[in-house]
Amino acid sequence: MSRAEAPAVDLGVEIAGLHLPTPLIAASGTFGYGDEYAGVADYGAIGAISAKGLYLNPRDGCPPPRIWETPSGMLNAIGLQEVGIERFLAEKLPSVRALGKVLIANICGSSFEEYGELARRLDDAEGVHGIEVNISCPNVSAGGIEFGCDPDMAARATEVVRRGTRLPVIPKLSPSASDIGGMARRVEDAGADAVSLINTIPAMAVDVETRRPRLANTIGGLSGPAVRPVAVRMVWQAARATRLPVIGMGGIAGAEDAIEFLLAGASAVQIGTMNFVDPGVWRRTRSDLEDYCRRHGVARVRDLTGAMEPFPPAPEVRR
Amino acid sequence: MSRPAAPPRRDLRARLVRRVELSADAQLLRFESASPSPALPGQFAMLRLEGGGLLRRPYSYCDLDDSGDPFRFSLLIKEVGVGTRALMRLRDGGTVSCLGPLGTWFEPPSAEETAVVVAGGVGIAPFVLFCRRLAEAGRSGIVLLGGRRRPDLYLREEFERFGMEVRCATEDGSFGQRGYVTELLPEALADATAPRVYSCGPTGMLLRTAELARRAGAPHQVSIERRMGCGMGCCLGCVVWAGRRPGDPPEYLRSCTEGPVFDADAIAWDRDPHPL
Repeated sequence: MSRAEAPAVDLGVEIAGLHLPTPLIAASGTFGYGDEYAGVADYGAIGAISAKGLYLNPRDGCPPPRIWETPSGMLNAIGLQEVGIERFLAEKLPSVRALGKVLIANICGSSFEEYGELARRLDDAEGVHGIEVNISCPNVSAGGIEFGCDPDMAARATEVVRRGTRLPVIPKLSPSASDIGGMARRVEDAGADAVSLINTIPAMAVDVETRRPRLANTIGGLSGPAVRPVAVRMVWQAARATRLPVIGMGGIAGAEDAIEFLLAGASAVQIGTMNFVDPGVWRRTRSDLEDYCRRHGVARVRDLTGAMEPFPPAPEVRR
Repeated sequence: MSRPAAPPRRDLRARLVRRVELSADAQLLRFESASPSPALPGQFAMLRLEGGGLLRRPYSYCDLDDSGDPFRFSLLIKEVGVGTRALMRLRDGGTVSCLGPLGTWFEPPSAEETAVVVAGGVGIAPFVLFCRRLAEAGRSGIVLLGGRRRPDLYLREEFERFGMEVRCATEDGSFGQRGYVTELLPEALADATAPRVYSCGPTGMLLRTAELARRAGAPHQVSIERRMGCGMGCCLGCVVWAGRRPGDPPEYLRSCTEGPVFDADAIAWDRDPHPL
C-alpha cells in the first residue's frame, strides 16, 4: 500500500484536559524555552514542549564542568541555570507562544511558598497550558529531589501548586522515590492531573588520572538510553498504582522506545537527551510511530497505552 | 568586509573524501556534502558518527569551499577521546552527520587594523578559514603559531600561502623560537599598526595573550572551547563566566551560542577558565 492510500493514524492524545496532536513532548531542560531548535527540528511532530525549569528568581547554576558522557548516557549537573519568572514571562514566553505549541511550564521552588507563588504567576500567563512540578532535580541544594523522595513533601508541593492554578498540574517524579506507585497515589490525592517520570538518576563519575570527580558538582543526573529500562519499569509501576495519566521518559531515541513506554502504561512520552544527539528525532519518531500503528492495525495511538500483554504462563507439563 | 548575518543552521550528511596525516595524532579531514552550509571563520559544527560516542562533538570549520557543488569543508582533528578516535578511523567515503554552522565568529579587522593571530596546537583550526578570507580581501596579517614540537605546528604552509607573516615557537626549540608562542606576541604587537588580536588554543596561552593584548590596548577576540552537549544552546553544559559585553556583569554564557568567539575583555578570567 502506498503512503497516500494508507489509513490515517490518529496520533492525538488527551492528557489532563490538554489535547496533544502527537504523544511526543520535548522534555524540560533539553529544549531550551522552546524556540531554540527552530529551523532544525520538525516542530510539527512535537505534541507539546516542557520548557526549561523555572525558579522565582534567576539562578547562575553549577560551575563547570557540568556534563560528562557515559556509556549510552550523559551525566549533567547544570543546577537549573535559568532566567527567573519575570524574564520568562517578558522575554521568553512571547516567542515561544508564537510557535503555537502546547506549552508546559516546569517549576521548581526552594520552599513550598515559592512553588505556590510560581503557580499563581503562571496561572493567567497567556500561552502556558500546564505546569510540570519539578520535585526531582538532583542538582540543586534547596528544593528539587528532597521533595521528590519524601511522599509528604511531594504531596504538599503538589497541593500548593494545585491551590495556585487552574492549569493542569503535573508533578515530575524522581526515580529515587523508594515506592514510585505510592508516590504517584499521594500526588494524585493531592490534586495532580497527571504525573511525569523519570527525572535523571543521581549518579557520578571519577577521573582516575586526576582523582577528581568528572563534574564540579560531584553528583549529577544520569540520562539517555542508559536509563531507559529503569524508566520503563517505573512507568509501569506508576501506571498500575494510579488512575492519573502517566507521561513517560528516559532515553527515548525513536518510535520503538516511545511505544515501549506507551505499552507499559504511558499516555504520552517525553524526548530529552536525544534532542542533543539528533534533532531529527522528532520527524523520525512520528513517522515510525505511524508506520508501527499501521503495521499493527492500531487506528489511534492512545489505544497503545497500557496495552502490554502479560507474559504467557508456562505450559503445564504432564508427568 | 561588512558584518554578515548568522548563516542558517542545517543537519547535513557529509562524506569523507580526503585525509591528510599532519602528525602521529592529528589529521586534516576533508568532507563533501550535497547542500551548502556556509560558515564564518570561528564558527563550528557538531559532528555525529557511528562509534563516536552518544553526544555530538564540536569542531571548528578549519577551511571551506562554498563556491560550487558539492560543498567542501575540512576539519582539523587531534586524537583526544572516543569521538576524535572514531573520526580518525573513519574510512574514506564514510559519512558523518554534521550540524552547523553554529556559534559566533571572528570580527574581521577594520581597514586600519592589522590582524595578529595567536594559535596553539589544534587552536589553529579556525584561522585557516579566517586567513583565507583575509587574503581574499587583499589583506595580510601576522600569524603566531605555537606547539610542543615541530610536528605540532599544523598547516604552517597554508598560512604562508595566504600571504600571512608566520612566526613560530616550539617548546623544545625544534622549529622557530624556543618557548611559548605568547613570547612572540609583544614584538608582533609592536610591529603591527593598530593590532587586533585573535586567539585560540590552550587556556594558559589564552590567559597570557589576554594580558598582553590588554596591556597594549589592542582589541582581542578569543575562541573558547568547552565540553558541549548540544551546540544549540539548550543543555547549558558549555558555559563560560563572562559578560555579554565588556563591562557587563559576568554570568554563565554558553560557549556554543554567545561564543565560542568572545571579546577577551568580557571574560572574567579570575573565575574562568575552569579545568575542562
